[in-house]
Amino acid sequence: MSAKKKGGEVDRFQLTEVIPATRDFIALDAERCTGCGDCVVVCPMELWRLREGKAALARDYRKKCTECGSCYIACEAGAIDFAYPPGGTGVVYKYS
Amino acid sequence: MKDYDLIVVGAGAGGSTAAMTAAEAGMKVLVLERSRYPAEKNVGGFALSSKAWRDFPFMDGLELPSMRVGRRCIAHFLSPPPEMEERFSIASGPSRRMGYPEARDFFTVTMLRREFEGFLAEKARAAGAEQRFATLVDGLVRESGNVAGVRLEGGEEYRAPVVIGADGVMSATARLAGLREKWRPDEVISACAVDYSASRERLDDVVHEASFQAYFGPGMGGNYLMCYADGVHIGGPGVTNSLISRLSRTRIKPARELLDTIAAPPTQRLLRAVDAVPREFQVHCVPWMDHMCTNIYTGGLMLVGDAAGLPEPLWAEGVWQAMYSGRLAAQVALEAVDEGDTSTASLARYLERLQDSPVAQEFIDGASLRQLFEVLGDPQASEGLTELAVDLSVNMFMSAQEPKAECVARAVPILMENLPVLMRLLGIYLPMILEAGGELPPQFAALGGLAAMFGGPTEEEARP
Repeated sequence: MSAKKKGGEVDRFQLTEVIPATRDFIALDAERCTGCGDCVVVCPMELWRLREGKAALARDYRKKCTECGSCYIACEAGAIDFAYPPGGTGVVYKYS
Repeated sequence: MKDYDLIVVGAGAGGSTAAMTAAEAGMKVLVLERSRYPAEKNVGGFALSSKAWRDFPFMDGLELPSMRVGRRCIAHFLSPPPEMEERFSIASGPSRRMGYPEARDFFTVTMLRREFEGFLAEKARAAGAEQRFATLVDGLVRESGNVAGVRLEGGEEYRAPVVIGADGVMSATARLAGLREKWRPDEVISACAVDYSASRERLDDVVHEASFQAYFGPGMGGNYLMCYADGVHIGGPGVTNSLISRLSRTRIKPARELLDTIAAPPTQRLLRAVDAVPREFQVHCVPWMDHMCTNIYTGGLMLVGDAAGLPEPLWAEGVWQAMYSGRLAAQVALEAVDEGDTSTASLARYLERLQDSPVAQEFIDGASLRQLFEVLGDPQASEGLTELAVDLSVNMFMSAQEPKAECVARAVPILMENLPVLMRLLGIYLPMILEAGGELPPQFAALGGLAAMFGGPTEEEARP
């Protein structure tokens, strides 16, 4: 990949390393979900979708989520819970 | 039974400064960090301001491979997309009137957090603090109402009369202690960044000491570019635009504006000139408060850094705040443990001292300050300010396109036309000067009245 190409071609997933968590660390309470879609907008990795009027998290989110917690904060209905993944797993930043 | 005098949750800048301070004073300290090495989870564009050199003697002579000293800042004002070309820019060195020598010498030093937080963790270890990495805290131990230790994922427990929560924006300790369930969407920014490797020699030639650059323009909220010794870091969306409440309202995806900034021709030219190649995409949340939080301690527990919501209300700088509050919390822990009283009432002195510290000064009129990016990003205001700058500087001094007398004569109507924007800016700065206790010349006070007439926030409105 080269910066000589347009900046829009930065591939987020190619440029992010994640050690998959060994358990779930994001939980959705579908009863509480209002389908507002705020989680879909704020997730920088685009791991949320709306399906039949409810939020749905990508099945492989443990391999892609960068633990920013934006969805948890954005969800004013309190339908999304977030905790840190187990120690030693999750996103790895080498150039931070 | 206690196992340690102090347990620190998190080995970032705040946690390691706290651990170092406490261990140097003879406390038995345990640091627990969920990542495998310092800063594995923390995200840069890290430019540490000269305040850190003013306040921490151990910063003297610090040398790290990624360091680039920032003795120039450049603010680029761009035209709206799709053109996004430079319309006006300001490059500046530090003011000679700054209040301490380091501030007159440089703005910031840009460096990788991995190196800097590794350096702080090493200092904590050398002082005698015990550190455990890849270890997640998922519970607090309580004794007669006070926090008295931590429980690790897996059930292991460690006891200490004081726990310092240095575990970042999504602080688990704050939640476990019942201090905060979560931040509100208008208290947190969700920012993205692309980090590039780049040629050190080209950066020396092209960027030199202009290691911090910001982009403004219609709809842009202050996107930034930072240069390390051999890397470039571009962050966005701008601070205002990346407030989670704002993203929800505008439906703008956070990565979109960042990618637009990167695609802007001036950015692309710079990236090409320094042979930049993208090496990492980073995402992080940062608390962005307009006032200092007060619910940052309880019996046996104090929060520091991002966990305490301390990043300042303009650029959300937070590492110096983390170091400062970390040291302060460790000093309070030392006193409280010596006195044998780590109750809520005893630890209240942490907040009191923080409120008297330079960390709190950064919040003076934070509510007004936060509007600065709104004004600069407002299409009309942004256009007005750019026209004003171009007509009053470039055209009057540098352009040979028209007779000088015509350019000069145009200055007055241009000033009048843009009076509302100038007044809005004055409306932001005036309350800050008043609150900081500055003496105002009478002419300036009169301008404040004008500012209110033009819709700038009045002194009352500007306060939280």
